[in-house]
Amino acid sequence: MNVLVLSGYGINCENETLHAFEVVGFKGKIVHINDLIQNPKQLNNYQVFAIPGGFSYGDDTGSGNAMAKKILTNLYDQLIDFSLKDKLIIGICNGCQILINLGLVPSLNKKDPEVAMIENKSGSYECRWVDVKVNNNKSPWLKNISILNLPVAHQEGQFMIPINLLKSIKANNLIGLQYINNHKKLAKGQFPFNPNGSKDDIAALTNQNGNILAMMPHPERAFYHYHVPNWQNNTSKKFGDGYKIFMNAKKFFA
Amino acid sequence: MTNTIQILSIEKTGKESSLQKEHNNKSIKIIDGYFFSRNLDDQKFTKISKLISNDVSQTILTKKNVKKVLSSYSNFNWVVEIKFLPGVTDNIATTVKEIIKDNLKSSFKSFELGSTKIILIKGRKEDITKISKNEANPLIQTIKIYPFKQYLNNFKKNQFKIEKVKLPKKKYSKKEINLDISDHQLSLIGKLGIEENDKSRRGTLGLDLESLKVIRNYFSTIKRKPTDVEIETLAQTWSEHCKHKIFSAKIDDIQEGIFKKYIKGATEKIIQLRKDNFCVSLFTDNAGGIEFNKDWIICHKVETHNTPSALDPFGGAITGIVGVNRDCLGFGKGAKPIANTYAYYLADPNKNYQLYRQKNKDPMLPANFIAKGIISGVRVGGNCSGIPTPQGNVYFDDRFAGKPLVFCGTVGIIPKKIKGKLSHKKKANPGDIILMTGGRVGKDGIHGATFSSEELDPNSPVSAVQIGDPITQKKMSDVIIRELRDENLYSSITDNGAGGLSSSIGEMAKESGGFIVNLEKVPLKYNGLYPWEIWVSESQERMTLAVPPANVKKVIKRFNARGVEATIIGKFIKKDKAIVKYNKTEILNLDMEFLHEGYPKLNLKTSFPKIKKEKKKIIKKSSLIDKLHKLLSSPNIVSKEFIATQYDHEVQATSIIKPLQGEGRVFGNATAIKPLFDDEKSIALSQAAYPQYAETNPYDMAGCSIDTAYKNLIVSGANSKKIAILDNFCWCSSDEPDRLYQLKEAAKACYDYAVAYQTPFISGKDSMFNDFKGFDKTGKSVKISIPPTLLISSIGVVDKISHLTKMTSDDGDILLVLGNTHNELLDSVYSKIIGYEKSKNPVVNSKDALRTYRNFEKANKLGIINSAIGIDLGGIGIAVTKMAIASKKGLTIDLKLKNKISVDQFLFSESQSRILVSIKKNKLANFKKVFKGSDYTIIGKCTGSDVVKFKDNKKIIRGKISDFAKSYKQNIKGL
Repeated sequence: MNVLVLSGYGINCENETLHAFEVVGFKGKIVHINDLIQNPKQLNNYQVFAIPGGFSYGDDTGSGNAMAKKILTNLYDQLIDFSLKDKLIIGICNGCQILINLGLVPSLNKKDPEVAMIENKSGSYECRWVDVKVNNNKSPWLKNISILNLPVAHQEGQFMIPINLLKSIKANNLIGLQYINNHKKLAKGQFPFNPNGSKDDIAALTNQNGNILAMMPHPERAFYHYHVPNWQNNTSKKFGDGYKIFMNAKKFFA
Repeated sequence: MTNTIQILSIEKTGKESSLQKEHNNKSIKIIDGYFFSRNLDDQKFTKISKLISNDVSQTILTKKNVKKVLSSYSNFNWVVEIKFLPGVTDNIATTVKEIIKDNLKSSFKSFELGSTKIILIKGRKEDITKISKNEANPLIQTIKIYPFKQYLNNFKKNQFKIEKVKLPKKKYSKKEINLDISDHQLSLIGKLGIEENDKSRRGTLGLDLESLKVIRNYFSTIKRKPTDVEIETLAQTWSEHCKHKIFSAKIDDIQEGIFKKYIKGATEKIIQLRKDNFCVSLFTDNAGGIEFNKDWIICHKVETHNTPSALDPFGGAITGIVGVNRDCLGFGKGAKPIANTYAYYLADPNKNYQLYRQKNKDPMLPANFIAKGIISGVRVGGNCSGIPTPQGNVYFDDRFAGKPLVFCGTVGIIPKKIKGKLSHKKKANPGDIILMTGGRVGKDGIHGATFSSEELDPNSPVSAVQIGDPITQKKMSDVIIRELRDENLYSSITDNGAGGLSSSIGEMAKESGGFIVNLEKVPLKYNGLYPWEIWVSESQERMTLAVPPANVKKVIKRFNARGVEATIIGKFIKKDKAIVKYNKTEILNLDMEFLHEGYPKLNLKTSFPKIKKEKKKIIKKSSLIDKLHKLLSSPNIVSKEFIATQYDHEVQATSIIKPLQGEGRVFGNATAIKPLFDDEKSIALSQAAYPQYAETNPYDMAGCSIDTAYKNLIVSGANSKKIAILDNFCWCSSDEPDRLYQLKEAAKACYDYAVAYQTPFISGKDSMFNDFKGFDKTGKSVKISIPPTLLISSIGVVDKISHLTKMTSDDGDILLVLGNTHNELLDSVYSKIIGYEKSKNPVVNSKDALRTYRNFEKANKLGIINSAIGIDLGGIGIAVTKMAIASKKGLTIDLKLKNKISVDQFLFSESQSRILVSIKKNKLANFKKVFKGSDYTIIGKCTGSDVVKFKDNKKIIRGKISDFAKSYKQNIKGL
C-alpha cells in the first residue's frame, strides 16, 4: 500500500498528511508536482493519491485554480487513468478546491468543473472545529462513519452548486459530509456550525464511484486524541476522529 | 508602453462576502481584470479566459455579452478601479503568466500582463470614497472612481489604457560624494539623503553629523572621495536598526552599555549559576536557540515592524511576519518555522484621532484601518506560509495613535547535528560563492533600515514600504529545509531583511574575512535601478547563501526545479575587504573593520523623569456585577477570538493547547504546540508587556513583564528549567535623558528578574524612536510618543503531555488563589474604567513568586492541580469569571477579606505572581503538604450551576455565566 502525497507551490499540509497515512500502515512519499510532471509513470507505484491542504499559488485566480490548471495541462490523463483503476484519491481543503477545479468531483456530466468554491459567507478566514456527518454515501473513504469532529481552516470553503446539478448530486448520493449543529441535526446554514454557508451544509463531495473524496475539513489535524479541543477531559482514546478516514483507506486495500 | 484590459470576469456571487460585510452594503460586485501587452485573438481569448477564471462562479465579459451583463447592474452607480503602481509586485499577474505559459507553451511566448480589481457599487459618493480608501493603499496602488455610465461607455470604446512600469532610463556613472562641505550641508546629507544631479534628495540616511565626520576622516586618510554606494552602505550598516547603538553605548557610569551589562550579562550570569547546557545559540545569530530534546534545537525570534505598519498596515504586517520567518530560516543552517506569534499595541479603533504628517495634509491612516490592516497582514503571511499562528495578544491605548507597535515572532526547529556537524554553527569560507535566492530586487523598502531608526515625520519616504509574497518565500523555504540543508550543501545562510544585500553579505563576510560582489548580476524586477538601490533594497523573500564552488551547480539546479531563482552574485574572500563592483567599475571598497565598527560610539546621560500622576477619576457607583461586565467587555480584556479564528493555528497538526480554551472558548494566556510526531515533549509560548506602568515605574514595568511571561509558562505546565525569554524594547525619544533613564531602569529590572528566575535571554531586538511628530486637525503641531513598551516573549519545554494544564474546573473543585493580593490598582484596567483609588502599581517580589511557581510545578506534576489560570489584567475578578465562562460551570467566591483590603481591591487588583487554581476536594491534603509555608487563599468552589456567586458576610451577589460570556465576547468597537 503506497500513498503519493503531492507538494509544491504553497501546498503545506504534506508532512502531517503523510504521517497519518503512515501510522495506519501505508508506505508513502511526498512528491513535488514538478517531479511528478517529469515522471508521471511513477503514479503506477501508488494506490492512493493525496492532495493536501495549503495555499497553492497563494489562491491567485481563485483557491485551487492555478494548481488545477497545472495538473490539467500536464497530468490530467494520467490522473483520470489513476481514478479509473481500483485506486483512491483524496483532496483535503486546498486539495479539495483543486479537485473541484479539475472537475474530478462530482464529475457527473462533463469534463469541465461544475462546482465552484467561493468565499465563506462570514467573509472571514475560519479556523475552527466543526461536526460533520455522513449521509448515505457509499465512498470507501467514509465507510462505517457516522459523525466526525474535525477542524476547518479556509477562506473559500463554500460549495457553489447550480440547482439542477445539486439535484443530481443528491439523487446520486454524492454528498460526502455535511455540517451538523450541536444537536447532531443538519446545521441548515447556521454559523458557526456551518462555517462557510455552503448550500445543504456540504463539507465534502465524492465522485460517483466514490473513490475520489474532496473534503474541506482536515482529518490529519484531528488524528491524535490530543489534537481535539479540550482533550484533557477525555484522555482514554488514542486517536481523534480524523484517524477513521485514513483507516478506511487502509481497509479498502486490506 | 500601454496595455489594454482584455479579460474581465465578473463574480456571480462569492468574493464579495468580506467586502459586503465590511461595508455593510449588499450591492457590491467584484470584477477581476487582466491587461496584456499583446492583443489576444478570439481563440486565445477563449482559452486564456478559461484558464484564469471560473465558469461556475464568474461570467467572462466578452464583446458580445458585455452590454447585457453590465446593464444588469444598471442600478449600480459607481465603479472603483484599483491597480498596482508601476514597479509594485503584482503577485496575481505572476501566477497568471505562469499558468498561461505552462498551458500555451510555445504558441504564446513573450508578453507582459498586469492584474486589476474592479468594484461595482451602489451607494453615495462619500461611501465610495471610503470603500476605495479601505480597499486600496495609495502608496502601492492607484484608485480611480468612475460614474457607472461613464465606465460603461469607456468600456465600449475600449479605453482602458493602463500605464505600465516606466522608469526613466538611467545610465549609471560612478558617483563620488564631496564631504568637504559645511556642517550644515553635511547634516543635510544625513537627514535628507544624497543630492542627485537634479538637486533632489534620495531620502534620509539617518546618519548624524558626527558619523558623517567620521566617514569624512576615514576617506581623507585613504586619500579619496567616497562613492554614493559607500555612504549608503555605511548608513545601513551603522543604522540604529542594525547596530543597536543605544543599547551598546556607554550610558552614565555603565561603560559596557546596557545590553552587555543587563541583557547579555543576565544570561552569562545564569549560565554560570546553572551549569546546565540548555542554551545553544545566544544573541549572535538571527534567532536565539535552546535545546528541545537530545536530537533537536528550537529557536525563537521576535521582531517589530512599527513604522512600515503605520504607513501601510497590511504590507507592514505581512512583511513583518514573513520577515521573522526568514530569521528562523537563517538560524544556524536553517530552522524550519513551526509557529508564529504576534502582539499588537494599537490606538482605539473606535476613535478618530485626525493626525497629519504635514500641516493640514498628508493624514495618518485612521486607527481602525491600521488595526484591521495589521491583523489581516499577519493572517495572510502566516496562513499562506503554512505556519501556525497560535500565540498572541492585542492591547489598546491612545498613545499608540501616532505609531502602532507590531511584534511578529517565529519559533523554528532544527536537528542538533547535520551530517555529524553542529547545525547551529555556520561559517562562510573564503572562496565560497555568494548565492542570492528567492524573489527579485525592486525599489521596495529602500531606506527601510535607516528610516525605522528615525521618527515618523513629513520626510518619511513612501518607498520604504515593502510588498510581501509569502508563496515565493514558501517555495524557497521548502527547498532549503527539505532539499539542501540536510546534505550540507552550503556553509552559511542568512536572511535579507533590513538593509538588504548590504547587510546580509556584510554580516556573513565577517565569517570569512570579506567579499566581492558584482551587482549587475543581481536579478531585478524591472530595469532602471541604480547600483546603490540594488545594494540596499529591502525586497522581500530573499536569502543569501555561502556555497562551496563544487556544490553551486547542484544547489542552483534544485532551486530552479522548484520554480525558485538562485543567482551567483559574488564570492567571499579572506582579505578583510568589502568590495562591490557594477559592470567592472569598483563602486565600493571599504575595510571590514571600519564598515562594522567604525561608527562613533554614543555616550549617553540619563536623568530622573517627572512622574506623570494618573488623573483622579471619580469612582462610578455601580454594582459588582456591573463592574465585572464593564471590565470583561473593555478592549484590553475582551476576547480576541475573532483573531484566533482567522489565524490558522492547526496547520502542521501540532496545536495541543489552543488559543481558545474550554467549551466556552476563552482566549488563553499561553498556548502549546507538539512539534515532533515521535516525542511527547511540547513547546509552550506566551508573552507579556505592561506599557501602562511605564511612566509610573519602568523598573516594575519590566519586572511585571518578565514575571507574567514566565508565570504563564509555569501555569501551562512547562519545565521551569527549560524556559527562555526574549526582550523587545520599543521606546520613544531615546535621545532624551529621561527616556533613557526609563530605559536603564527597565534593563536593570531585566537583569534582576531574569537572574532571580534563572530564565536566560536568548534573543532580542529594540526599536528606539516610536514617536510621531506632526499636526492635529487644527494645524497645531503635536508630538505623540508611545509609552515605553517592553515585550517579553517566553518559550519553554513541556516534558510530558500530562503536565499540560487546562483552565476549566469541575463540579466540587476547590478554588484557590496562589500568591498574595495587595492594593495594587494603579494604572490597572479597573482604575481606567471604573475609577482611581489611592493605590500603588504592582511590584514583583521574586522570592515569593518563585516559591509559588516551584510549588505549583511540583503540585502539577503530582496531579494535584485540576485547572489553572494566570491572574493578570482585571485581577481575581476577571480570572474567576473567565474560568466560569471557559468551563460553563458556576463558581461561588467567598469574600472574607483580610489585611484591610476592600472588595474591589481584592477582586480587581493586578498584583503579580498569582495563579487561580482549582483542585479536586480529595487533593486538598496533598495540596497543603506541597504548599506548606507558601501564600495561598481558598476563595471558593466550583458548583456546576449557571451562575457565579460572590458571598460576603452580608449578602450574595449573583451573575449569570451566559451574561458574562456575552460581555466577554463583545465585538471591539471600530473593528
